[in-house]
Amino acid sequence: MRWRPLCQLLCLWPYLSYVQPMPIQKVQDDTKTLIKTIVTRINDISHSQSVSSKQRVTGLDFIPGFHPILSLSKMDQTLAIYQQIFTSLPPHNMVQISNDLENLRDLVHLLASTKSCPLPQTSGLQKLENLDGVMEASLYSTEVVALSRLQGSLQDMLQQLDVGPGC
Amino acid sequence: MIFQKFYVALLYCEFLYVITALNLAYPIPPGRFKLSCMPPNTTDDTIRLPVGIPKNTSSLNGDYVAVETKFNWSVTYISKLSKTTFHCCFINEEGANYSTHADNMEGETLVSAVSSFVFQQLGANWNIQCWMKGDLKLFICYMEPLFKNPFKNSDLKVHLSYDPPEEIEDLPLPLQEDSFQTVQCSCSVQECCECHVPIPTARLNGTLLMYLKIASAGVTFQSPLMSVQPMHVVKPDPPLGLHMEITDDGNLKVSWYRPTLVPFPLQYQVKCLENSTSVREADKVISATSLLVGNVLPGSSYEVQVRAKRLDSSGIWSDWSSPRIFTTQDVIYFPPKILTSAGSNVSFHCIYKSEDKIVSSKKIVWWVNLAEKITESQYNIVSDHVSKVTFSNLRATKPRGNFTYDAVYCCNEHECHHRYAELYVIDVNINISCETDGYLTKMTCRWSAGTVQSLLGSTVQLRYHRSSLYCSASPSIHPISQHKDCILQRDGFYECIFQPIFLLSGYTMWIRINHSLGSLDSPPACVLPDSVVKPLPPSSVKSEITINSGLLKISWEKPLFPENNLQFQIRYGLSGKEIQWKVHEVYNPKSKSASLPVPDLCAVYAMQVRCKRLDGLGYWSNWSHPAYTVVRDIKAPTRGPEIWRITNGDITKKERNVTLLWKPLMKNDSLCSVKRYVVKHHTSHNGTWSEDVGNHTSFTFLWTEQAHTVTVLAINSIGASSANFNLTFSWPMTKVNAVQSLSAYPLSSSCVVLSWTLSPSDYNLMYLIIEWKNLNEDDDIKWLRIPSHVKKYYIHDHFIPIEEYQFSLYPIFVEGVGSPKIINGFTQGESQRSDAGLYITVPIIISSSVLLLGTLLISHQRMKKLFWEDVPNPKNCSWAQGLNFQKPETFEHLFTKHTGSVAFGPLLLEPETISEDISVDTSWKNKDEVVSATMVSLLLNTSDLEKTSICISEQCNCAKVSEAESSKVTYEHECQKQSSVKYATLVSNLKSNETNSEQGVVHSAASKCFSIKHSPLKDSSSNSSWDIETQALFLLPDQQPNMISPHLSCPGLDELLELQGIFPEENHSEKSVCYLGVTSIKEKESGVCLTNKSGVLCPFPAHCLLTDIRFLQDSCSCFVENNFSVGTCGNKTFVPYMPQFQSCSTHTSKIIENKMCNLTA
Repeated sequence: MRWRPLCQLLCLWPYLSYVQPMPIQKVQDDTKTLIKTIVTRINDISHSQSVSSKQRVTGLDFIPGFHPILSLSKMDQTLAIYQQIFTSLPPHNMVQISNDLENLRDLVHLLASTKSCPLPQTSGLQKLENLDGVMEASLYSTEVVALSRLQGSLQDMLQQLDVGPGC
Repeated sequence: MIFQKFYVALLYCEFLYVITALNLAYPIPPGRFKLSCMPPNTTDDTIRLPVGIPKNTSSLNGDYVAVETKFNWSVTYISKLSKTTFHCCFINEEGANYSTHADNMEGETLVSAVSSFVFQQLGANWNIQCWMKGDLKLFICYMEPLFKNPFKNSDLKVHLSYDPPEEIEDLPLPLQEDSFQTVQCSCSVQECCECHVPIPTARLNGTLLMYLKIASAGVTFQSPLMSVQPMHVVKPDPPLGLHMEITDDGNLKVSWYRPTLVPFPLQYQVKCLENSTSVREADKVISATSLLVGNVLPGSSYEVQVRAKRLDSSGIWSDWSSPRIFTTQDVIYFPPKILTSAGSNVSFHCIYKSEDKIVSSKKIVWWVNLAEKITESQYNIVSDHVSKVTFSNLRATKPRGNFTYDAVYCCNEHECHHRYAELYVIDVNINISCETDGYLTKMTCRWSAGTVQSLLGSTVQLRYHRSSLYCSASPSIHPISQHKDCILQRDGFYECIFQPIFLLSGYTMWIRINHSLGSLDSPPACVLPDSVVKPLPPSSVKSEITINSGLLKISWEKPLFPENNLQFQIRYGLSGKEIQWKVHEVYNPKSKSASLPVPDLCAVYAMQVRCKRLDGLGYWSNWSHPAYTVVRDIKAPTRGPEIWRITNGDITKKERNVTLLWKPLMKNDSLCSVKRYVVKHHTSHNGTWSEDVGNHTSFTFLWTEQAHTVTVLAINSIGASSANFNLTFSWPMTKVNAVQSLSAYPLSSSCVVLSWTLSPSDYNLMYLIIEWKNLNEDDDIKWLRIPSHVKKYYIHDHFIPIEEYQFSLYPIFVEGVGSPKIINGFTQGESQRSDAGLYITVPIIISSSVLLLGTLLISHQRMKKLFWEDVPNPKNCSWAQGLNFQKPETFEHLFTKHTGSVAFGPLLLEPETISEDISVDTSWKNKDEVVSATMVSLLLNTSDLEKTSICISEQCNCAKVSEAESSKVTYEHECQKQSSVKYATLVSNLKSNETNSEQGVVHSAASKCFSIKHSPLKDSSSNSSWDIETQALFLLPDQQPNMISPHLSCPGLDELLELQGIFPEENHSEKSVCYLGVTSIKEKESGVCLTNKSGVLCPFPAHCLLTDIRFLQDSCSCFVENNFSVGTCGNKTFVPYMPQFQSCSTHTSKIIENKMCNLTA
């Protein structure tokens, strides 16, 4: 346990050493702006609007979105899953969303570091089981559901950022 | 002792034999080894060791071991020969103390006794070397006799039997003979044989077993069994691409490429000869493919070879590569070329050799471009012979023609070698500008290679490194970078596109310039895509002029991206070809509209909106599509129209028709249109009522009451005009005179100024009405409303000055329209016109008069001056002797004094006098002409011909020739042109043509112009002197007024004439002398002709001047219809004979009509 702060420091070192001192407010603003940007991107994707919220799609439980995101750690985990999903989707606008998610995760990391929160260890996140199989069988469902749930998750995050999320 | 050693060797051979018997083969060494075969009975004193084997070594070390092998399958005996067994042994050449096992020899065929004897005595010895070729496909064994073997070459047959490589562990025991394959070796004349064994690549690491069979002279030798792993005896190919260069440190760098197809590391050996003598670096074995040779001397040659071998020392050295010679120059620069960036520091070193001596570094000086000496403070002495110069804070090299570098010279004091070092300084400050598109998915970066492109052979590329978040405060070139493809655009910029992008990742970019001299990097720049966004322009832009408020309102929708707060910029202006934009800023990010005051509410405005991040980052978007306002009614008309009236009917009657007139409201007043007009009446009896007149601008009503007030209202979709003009018609007021005076002044055809004075009045003057109309035309009246305080007004209209206009000024009182003041404008039109003509004519007359007077004065002065300048020297001119030129009383006095004594002489002529000669070159064609000619000849061939004075004015259209009783002939003609000859002594050189021919032509060579054509003198000239050969006439057209030049004769001129033989003797008596007349334009009427006989001045006909006499028909006005026609020659050039003369040409005049002197009359 005594090594844990040191490990956290070492993990944060690339950010601390490379990135110039960034006001926390700017980081928060950029985080919010990026979340809004992703939400707008999703809105701009035409078929994502046609999904009815009344219907519950089963079999895609690996896509998060049902539980509120209350902490930075949870944010990072959720974003990591979405990033993995969107990286697996065929190239469309999803590549840009995937890049945005990566930036968003970096921002969450930076926010966590500024709050001295333990860095979320999501880099070694297990690969989603049977993702490729689900993609192959139901690509459209996966995409629209992922987009829809991501949008909801992002808006949830946006609210949490206004409140000030915990570690 | 020797025997003891041999026995030891023999024991060793036996040992090997035993080993061989245990299937142990001789391992082939990488180097050479020897195969020695000898009979066993020579193992006593008579046995000889092979040549080349140091006996002492082998014996001393006791390593010489021979082993006799007797395989079951190869038991051999030399039974047929002598039953002698040959023992064959391998002897390591290098060690010379290592022997191999022995083998037997078998004689299978008969051999000659001699040969067998030799074999028995000497045995047979070979040097053998086996290796794997560099391509790893062929195993080669090469053998050569150690000394001259007693073989016949033709009989020599060598076979190599081999067992394909197998793993040693898998060797079958015992060996089977039929597992061997045999190849025949190729032998040369020198008894050298080479055996090739193909080795499969897969078995390069296996063990190859083999033995040799050598058959010659009926004897067959078989070597012991040999074993080898081909990979351990590889002989690589020589290294390739050997090259040398002087390094930046002044060393000679020898470089090469390793041979291909060698799958193992190599070591190399370099042989370097300096100036073909001293060997340098010969023993160095290195593993790198380059070698630095230090202390290189200028002006030396270096011959280098290199060979290779397996790095683990197994195998065989390759052959030496082909020698490569590198000659250093007398001046060595190191580095010879430098590519660097502007602002950096670089140094050059130099070794200078001059006349076989290396120059001391203290004497070395440096120059740049042979033009600029480098200050010594930049020099450094590295060693006795090495000088160094350092350039600091370099500036970019400016290309000079095709040279894109600076030439740096190392000089020996005042002597510079032609070789130089090249310094390329490139300005690598390349600005990279990036722009993220409005969708935040693409970032386009642009940069210009600029001066970098001038560096020939260079390539540029953009490299970048992406950080996870944001940019570093001081971006630096990251060791791990990526290359981005960029496309050169037409504008010379490279364009690189990043898509997709990481919005908040810092992209550190730089331009790498790759060149053979090295690579340069531009200063890195970090770009955050989020901070260089160029948003999409706002959409849904709409604009309108708001009703009632009258503001220009523009609304828009912000673009989807970015999500940051935005500021907006609006530009608007009157729509047209060139819109004068006004800009309005909107800093409220939530604003979606703006209202702006505009001066003209009834105009079409164009407007556009653009946006940018509120924090200032990024770029302005493009302007949105323009939105245009629509002209519509904004407010009720600000005022009603200005009204005026025309009254008709008898002024004495109580009822009059009044026609109201008003001007349509402009948009500025109507805001923005008028649907209709309403006339509102007010009288004391009838009260108030209105009449809708629609869009008309006139309305007639009957004025019956004492006072009638009307008001015209303008009405649009918003409402009626609030401020309106009233006009009250009141009978009493028509008699009120308020205008005291009125005057109109036309300024131009488009402007007339009216001024007036008003008399004080008890009434309230509201305004004035100016009314004018053209009285000559039925134009409608025009009117203007003028404020009451104005005293002068400029009316702009199209006025015709010659027309008459009536101007009226009406005072408009609150109580009614007052009495007008009426004047007629432009009533002085005619006088003004005459005045205008006078204004033009008088100056012209005055100026003409002045000009004329001036001309006369100047001419008079000039004439006087010329006259007195041309006064001849009385000493040299006979005629002038005795004359007082200082005070001549009259010209007559001056000229008449010596006229009688003058036959010829220079003339004091004013400029522009002419001399002409007369020639007759055309014959008469009919009798009439002959008759006329006769008449002329009678006239001109009188005995007094010489005394006859003929006065001809040059260039006359017509001449009247009259004969006076005193034999004076005058020609009157009209002068058209002044002559350009001042004066001439006529040297008549008329050639005597055939006078008896009809077309006899008499020419005057002295003067071209005095020709006579169709001369009537032709026939009569036989007895007369109208043979003009000797005639000389002066043509003296007048030019100066009041001046008459005498015809003069100077002795010198007479002499000249005589010398030239111009006048033949026979015609001497018939000389016709020049006759001149000088007159002026004014005195043409009183022109005189001066005869040499009478010595008096003859009166000249008007416009006639004695210049020439002609009897021409075509070009001169000579005889027309039997009349003597005297004129001037056309197009004749008068050649000056005296310096004072000027050449001239005259134009042919028309034939003088009816102005000729009829000499016959």
